[in-house]
Amino acid sequence: MSGMTTHPLRPLGGRLRRAIFSGVTEYLGERGTLMAGAALAVLVASFCLLGPIFCRASPYTIHVGDAFYPPSPQFLLGTDQIGRDELARLIAGGYTTLAVSIPAAILAFIVGIVFGFSGALGPIWLDKVLMRVLDAVLALPALILLIFFASLFAPSNSQLILLLGLTSWPGLARLVRNEAIAQRGRDFVHASRQCGAGTFYIAWRHLLPVIAPVLVVNGTFLVGDQILALSALSFLGLGIQPPDPSWGGLLQSGLNLVVVDPWWMIVPSGAMIFLSIAATNLIGQGILARMGETC
Amino acid sequence: MNDGSVLRLDNVSVALRRGRGQVVPLLDQICLAVNRGEMTALVGESGSGKTLTSLAVIRLLPRNARLSGQIWLGNIDLLRLPQRDMRKIRGRDIGMVFQNPLASLNPSVRVGAQIREAYRLHTGESDHAACARARELFGEVGIANAKERLGDYPHQFSGGMRQRAMIAMALACSPKLLIADEPTSGLDAILTRQILSLLTRLRREYRMGVLFITHDLSVVQKYADQVHVLYAGRSVEWGSSDAFFNAPRHPYSRALLGAVPRPGQIRLTAISGVLPDPEAMPIGCRFSPRCAYHQAECDCRYPKIDHKGTTSVACCRAADIVSAHRPAGMPSPQYFRSTNDGAVLLKIDRLGVDYRHPAGGVLAALAGRSKSLRILDGIDLTLRHGECLGIVGESGSGKSTLGRAILQMVPYHGSVAFEGMAFDRMTRSRRKMMRRRIQVVFQDPRESLNPRMRIGDIVAEPLALAGERECREQVRRLLDRVGLHARMLDEFPHAISGGQAQRIAIARALAAKPAVIVLDEPTSSLDVSTQAALLNLLKDLAQQDGLSYILISHDVAAISYMADTIAVLRSGRLIEVGATAGLLAAPGAEYTRHLLAASFLYEI
Repeated sequence: MSGMTTHPLRPLGGRLRRAIFSGVTEYLGERGTLMAGAALAVLVASFCLLGPIFCRASPYTIHVGDAFYPPSPQFLLGTDQIGRDELARLIAGGYTTLAVSIPAAILAFIVGIVFGFSGALGPIWLDKVLMRVLDAVLALPALILLIFFASLFAPSNSQLILLLGLTSWPGLARLVRNEAIAQRGRDFVHASRQCGAGTFYIAWRHLLPVIAPVLVVNGTFLVGDQILALSALSFLGLGIQPPDPSWGGLLQSGLNLVVVDPWWMIVPSGAMIFLSIAATNLIGQGILARMGETC
Repeated sequence: MNDGSVLRLDNVSVALRRGRGQVVPLLDQICLAVNRGEMTALVGESGSGKTLTSLAVIRLLPRNARLSGQIWLGNIDLLRLPQRDMRKIRGRDIGMVFQNPLASLNPSVRVGAQIREAYRLHTGESDHAACARARELFGEVGIANAKERLGDYPHQFSGGMRQRAMIAMALACSPKLLIADEPTSGLDAILTRQILSLLTRLRREYRMGVLFITHDLSVVQKYADQVHVLYAGRSVEWGSSDAFFNAPRHPYSRALLGAVPRPGQIRLTAISGVLPDPEAMPIGCRFSPRCAYHQAECDCRYPKIDHKGTTSVACCRAADIVSAHRPAGMPSPQYFRSTNDGAVLLKIDRLGVDYRHPAGGVLAALAGRSKSLRILDGIDLTLRHGECLGIVGESGSGKSTLGRAILQMVPYHGSVAFEGMAFDRMTRSRRKMMRRRIQVVFQDPRESLNPRMRIGDIVAEPLALAGERECREQVRRLLDRVGLHARMLDEFPHAISGGQAQRIAIARALAAKPAVIVLDEPTSSLDVSTQAALLNLLKDLAQQDGLSYILISHDVAAISYMADTIAVLRSGRLIEVGATAGLLAAPGAEYTRHLLAASFLYEI
């Protein structure tokens, strides 16, 4: 449509990410991008969820004699320094990674929306207070904040969900607030209020559907961000605690043994982190490109 | 070749190539001439191909467009020119003024620099000469204080000023032809008159031809020498302006003229139906499906052009039609209803609205030190049952704000009393209930419908908010009342036209069972024929339901057609209030006279 001046779907964060993935969109087309992302996501998810059916080995069993073996027919991805099956650990690590980062993304999503809407539709003083809170949270890089809290105590998985979820909402919250403010002054909102609609009704019936495309796109990106943040934490030893495996943890234990250069411990976990983030970004970028046409 | 013409189009056609070998004809055999020193008005509704014609002349059509025919600028055929030479002609020999000056001026470059650039690009003169020329041009287009204003950025100019600056830029190289594409459609009556007087003066001084594209017939009569009416990509009637307005010969021209509101007219002629789809044009006359004089032969072939009459016309039945009725003249004054009867519905007492600058932040707001600006001051108005109160004023006069204050959408001081009870003295729940009785229809039909809701849900919203569960049947009835088909229930707003969207907005307003509807420029984004149909609908609804209206508009013609009482607003103050007939016949205030003089260009 011609009247729209700025693009309504500004994805959060990385200019680099946008540059890379909009290049992909150009190459694959919007439909292709979306399909590629979806295919990749299905692949990663089924690896983590259905993997245990095909790979019966336990990620915790120690094969004392077989430590540090490169890939072989018995251990498809080799074993680690104390002889645990790397493939089983990669699958289990993936499951834990997703089981923490997806709920964390949902938590951040909900907090962000509620926070954003309260700012946009609540009284002005509330908006001012909320925005200062938001500034304060944004001023500290999320990773530093995470490291600080995670280093105070060794977090359990549910604590990790809270930790990740409660540090990553500000970007979305600001976006939701700005979108809601931009939409709340439109004539159809005024017309609805004239008929007696309350604030909650306006938010639910009018604003939420109108800004839904923005939410869907950024919600998808949020999942990728959480996987990355969790992997980073686990890599630093502050995330998912041993003996539970995680992709970040696997990567770290491989890199610690750099003298031996166990590539079978490094490449697969790194690749899984990359693929899962690529999946969410492709989906997000694909939706963004499709919505861009209709908005 | 006609030696007097600056621009002549011979059989110009434009077709758009789509995928799969599909070719969509958009302009068909247009023949048009603009004479030196004259203004030719190209008239038509949106979608008729006016802008496309102008883009064809400057050869800035989309890449998949196919252009054929001949376009003579003097004795050069522009269609044979390579793009490189065409670039030299644009701006030097053909000046252009577009509808939205803010979009055509670069916001980050000073206005003066933009004018200098236009001049230097083509003449290669020094910067010093360009400066002098820019100052001279600003003088000519009537911008005072030229030296200082040249250093301003476009956003520092008002709407009328920007259009003057655009004209100055178009004139920089003294072009032979000026194309003005709806240069005044965003401006109010007074500014429109100023801009058109300016164009008239300049075209005589520069002896340049002006191709003036517009949908506003009232402007054409006073300022144009030639009229050329387009319908669905074909010329339907053309000739001298006097002859055209005296006796329009094409049924479409007649319908268009009948659709322009005039004071005291009983009813506007609406044109039923819509423009034909360019992908499925009728074989015969393109207007025939909507034509009141339609005959079987009209559908068989495109009518031959009849050059014999006062104007040239493409209609087989032109001869029969001229003898038929002429559009109605001024009716007798008793048409105007007397407004003294009926109980007082809405009483507005010393209403004022302040705009508080949000600048200064929290501390300034807490200290109460924020700046405030008075937008409305001391407004006293009364609205009676069944009355239509017209509020007229130029843009920025505060008329929309007044509407919003009445709707309780903005904070105000003073009082608005509904059925004898002031809103600020009502309890919260009563206030909410009473607010429902005052409904609103906004200017932009697209903005007023939620793009993600279905039409059925939009119309049902006021019912649902009142707690009514089963409202499907009611919604059907409402759609029927505003002249829409129930098929539309499941559509989304982007699938319907502007006129239909505005009807949906009216249906939604009616669903709340209002006593008053505030109509905030309800037709200013619509075509003449659509506007006529909508105004007629509003009149019918008012009669059936005993509705009262507050009609806000800058269009005095529309107001005088609809309103029983007119209130003139200027810079937030009420200048004059009076019954329509009296106010039009004998305006009391100087400003009202000025406004009326600028508005009633079109008289029959």
